[in-house]
Amino acid sequence: MPLRMVLTCPVARGRTAQRIPAPGHSRRGLLRAGGLLALGAAAAPLAGCDLLGGDDEAPKAPDPLRPLLDEALTLATAYQDAATAHPDLAARLTPIAEAHRAHAGELARLIGVTPPSSTPAPSGAPSTDPDATLADLRQRERAGRDAAVAACASASAERAPLVGSIAAARATHLEALK
Amino acid sequence: MSERAAPPAPAEALAAALTAEYAAIYAYGPIGVRLSGAARTAARQAEAAHRRRRDALVLQLSTAGATVPPDRAGYALPFPITDRASALRLAVEVEERTAAHWRAALAATTGPDRDQALDALIDYSVRATRWRRTAGVDPVTVPFPGRPT
Repeated sequence: MPLRMVLTCPVARGRTAQRIPAPGHSRRGLLRAGGLLALGAAAAPLAGCDLLGGDDEAPKAPDPLRPLLDEALTLATAYQDAATAHPDLAARLTPIAEAHRAHAGELARLIGVTPPSSTPAPSGAPSTDPDATLADLRQRERAGRDAAVAACASASAERAPLVGSIAAARATHLEALK
Repeated sequence: MSERAAPPAPAEALAAALTAEYAAIYAYGPIGVRLSGAARTAARQAEAAHRRRRDALVLQLSTAGATVPPDRAGYALPFPITDRASALRLAVEVEERTAAHWRAALAATTGPDRDQALDALIDYSVRATRWRRTAGVDPVTVPFPGRPT
């Protein structure tokens, strides 16, 4: 008896969970509850079902290069803010800010989006200490380089050269910050 | 359609990179002669990096049964090397040009071969930046290293 329980229970539970009763129950339950919160919660499992059900690749999965584009814009802003806060560093930092902006432009073209006109603000204003500012930029740039290296490995043949150049550019920025 | 036509076969791209490595090694001969001190050491290290990749490519291509392009006795330099300034200018050029060949190889490769190509692109781009700094070129970076201009 205990053995049969072990064998049959998971199967039965699996079926009820996957098929008719559970979704029906929860939907009815949620409709009865009626609140905004409940509707919000209902949306998630339904979206999940659609993803599993439809073989359509079309439902807009975010472009794999999108994070790289966002990062380029954030980096551009970080360098520009640092250059504004430390005019002595501007000659060094401005070309790098421009490079990141150029990367964003090329990535946007490749992805097929228009680059956002308002750049995302990097977390926190630049430090008043130039050394700390440079250290912060180095840290961001290193993370950016690593992300671009990873993105290049999985990029398509036509995208890999641009992503590779961006990875290399970020590596040269680190060198320029030394 | 265009995707099939655009990237060359991996062996073809690696053979092109090998030819670029031969030329780079050749160029560092006259470059090194015009440099001294830390710059000369940097030239020696750069040359060693190109030799390492040359050796790896020769081995890789012959192991794969691909055609290994032969080295030539000499390569045409884009401009005469007459002093330290022209030597540094050529060093920048050599690194950018070899970087460009490895960048092109990215499209033709996947997996470890692509990692190898990216590693070379990054290495030579950083060396080009260091040479610009030594030469007093400002800015020391370019927006798209290895991209044909």
